[in-house]
Amino acid sequence: MPGKEIPDRCMNCREAQPAFILRTRHVCQDCYVRFVKYKPFKRTENYRLRRNMPQDGPCKLLLPLSYGLSSTVLLHMLHEQIEAMRLKPHGPKGYELLVLTIDPSTISPTIPSHDEAFSLAEKLFPQCSFTTVPFHSIFDLDPNIGEVMSQYAHADFKDQTSLSNQERLEVFRASISTATSKVDIDNILINRLIVAFAQKMECRGIVWGDSDSKLAAKTLANVAKGRGSAVTWQVCDGMSPFGLEYNFPLRDLFTVELRNYASFFPELAELIIPHEQPSENTLTKNLSIDELMVRYVLTQGEKYPGVMLNVTRTASKLQSSGASSAGPQCNLCGALTFDANEASVAPQATGQHSDNLSSQICYACARSRPDLSC
Amino acid sequence: MPPTPCANCHADRAVIIRPKNRQKLCRQCFLNIFETEVHETITATKLFQRGERVAIGASGGKDSTVLASVLKTLNERYDYGLQLTLLSIDEGIKGYRDDSLETVKRNAEQYAMPLVILGYGELYGWTMDQVVAQVGKKGNCTYCGVFRRQALDRGAERLGIKHVVTGHNADDVAETVMMNLLRGDLPRLARGTSIVTGSAASEIKRSKPLKYAYEKEIVLYAHHKQLDYFSTECIYSPEAFRGSARTLIKDLEKIRPSSILDIVRSGEEMAELVPSEVRGGAAADEEAAETTGCGSQGGSGRTRGGEMAEMERKLAEDEAAADRETEVTLATAPAARRKKNAVKSQVLGKCERCGYISSQRVCKACTLLEGLNKNRPRTAIEMEESLEESSSTLRRLEKVELGG
Repeated sequence: MPGKEIPDRCMNCREAQPAFILRTRHVCQDCYVRFVKYKPFKRTENYRLRRNMPQDGPCKLLLPLSYGLSSTVLLHMLHEQIEAMRLKPHGPKGYELLVLTIDPSTISPTIPSHDEAFSLAEKLFPQCSFTTVPFHSIFDLDPNIGEVMSQYAHADFKDQTSLSNQERLEVFRASISTATSKVDIDNILINRLIVAFAQKMECRGIVWGDSDSKLAAKTLANVAKGRGSAVTWQVCDGMSPFGLEYNFPLRDLFTVELRNYASFFPELAELIIPHEQPSENTLTKNLSIDELMVRYVLTQGEKYPGVMLNVTRTASKLQSSGASSAGPQCNLCGALTFDANEASVAPQATGQHSDNLSSQICYACARSRPDLSC
Repeated sequence: MPPTPCANCHADRAVIIRPKNRQKLCRQCFLNIFETEVHETITATKLFQRGERVAIGASGGKDSTVLASVLKTLNERYDYGLQLTLLSIDEGIKGYRDDSLETVKRNAEQYAMPLVILGYGELYGWTMDQVVAQVGKKGNCTYCGVFRRQALDRGAERLGIKHVVTGHNADDVAETVMMNLLRGDLPRLARGTSIVTGSAASEIKRSKPLKYAYEKEIVLYAHHKQLDYFSTECIYSPEAFRGSARTLIKDLEKIRPSSILDIVRSGEEMAELVPSEVRGGAAADEEAAETTGCGSQGGSGRTRGGEMAEMERKLAEDEAAADRETEVTLATAPAARRKKNAVKSQVLGKCERCGYISSQRVCKACTLLEGLNKNRPRTAIEMEESLEESSSTLRRLEKVELGG
């Protein structure tokens, strides 16, 4: 068929040999890298040029590094930006990047502790400052969390302050029964830990590594878990309910593009922990909703990548909840709760929990409560 | 093992595990709870007024049969003071509707409700069989869907009834939320979850009292109440977006049964966040998203997956165009981005011909009818005789369009 032949020159620079297909165009490696880097470059422009913010004083951004593909690639790109900024003596002051890692072995015991990677990252990205904390340090960074846990969990659950923080967290996490609720609550706790750290370090905002497919899965999962109104800050650039700006600079990039980018820089391979997908044989009902959505976006994304990308774009068009319809913040996840009188007359699926807690815990968090089996 | 007692009355033996929350209930408690929940939905949303005449869109299927039965029960139990009428639409497909219309006729007797059956023939001058004879089998779903959407409203208008209730259930609403998210359809996301559709633009109010009822519980209710219904599954597969959303929701229900209600809840929350300029009113003319089964197969013989594939192609083109723009001229980049995020607004008016609400000058049904009527009677043989260059081209085009 005419027009389907591989051109002998890169369709962008018209010089080098094309090596990759980038969104239907055959391009060389250099042009590929330039394109992929350009997207987050535009998305971080306001911080580089300090647009609409004080020109003096620090502008700190926190980058939570999970050693996954996306956050590692984002760190690599932003570090390059900072190096370029520092070379210009009279340029704008730009931003500082703080990197936080939560020791992955304290989140999931099946992942080995990743200490060598931490020192390697420090060495590779000298312009950033690095901190690593265990998951259970949430009790130190977010002193209220123990009380919230007791309030939230099953009546039999007691947060025993006499235990070590590690044990306290284990007991709480063990009290949560289903796969969906476990992942949901873990995500909330991790978010709280990161936010608490960012606040302590007086950061202006958080730059998250999520790529487009991750954000699409997150959008759908949030909707499926009854967190519809939270998508305005969970997947959109802008102010979060925690007084920190949330940014997703990789939002326009597909995972495969990040994977290709990472492959051009072999030093990144040692940092990245390969992400294990739940095996194909796992029964659907044993997956968590988050895993199901990742799988859905992955399989549908092969055929319809643009449709999946569009899910996040649609969510971005929603207006973050104005003060009119928003109630107080949920004690657990921090989302602004919808006024129960206005939002829904939906009958509770489970009549067991229409108690006085509903005013402090949002609808979706109540769904993940430990003693609900479904 | 001793039989498990009902979790509600603790007296009778539990025979039902509620799909919604896995509660074990006896037959009577299940029926009561189901009815009470619908009653709560009706009272909380102040759905009906005393003395109101209400038409129940009845297809003979499980949803509308259960709706009719529950409304009759509640109307008597709580003295709503409603005048209920069954309203059925006959698409005019020989052999297809016969059984379900018989079911509706029996229902009318069982519930002692008046029944009105209106055919496409009466409403539009075309039965579906005639449409198929004209346009062929492949594009006919478009006609059927567009006609059906208006048929209930037109029918109600003839009866002088201003409120039509339909059997849409929680699964349908959840499906619609997911589908509109996949399609990026904000106006429908804003109005798809509300229990009442219809606005100042329309005389007829539409509502779905079973909005919070699970499909599985509707089946259980029909079974345990021994209702007389007919399985009217559409023989065509749903279009790609709805099909994809449907599969997803069935999977979600397996993982967490409450997720159907959770999605409805999310949909309601998100509807509040849709910018007001895109809301539009209730565009009943475009309620494709609200019909459950067929109705949006897509014209000119597109196959399953066609709509999704087409949108994918369009998005890729937009993307490519936007990229070229931002890379060449930096100055226009912010403007381009603003344009991408800008949202189209829908203005609703009335169709010039039939007066039905429409966002266009002439509503879709009238546009389709115009096309049909133009070609009636078909003049294929005449054209064969006067073979000219232009007419043969026209005919070839026509063949492509109709034959698919």
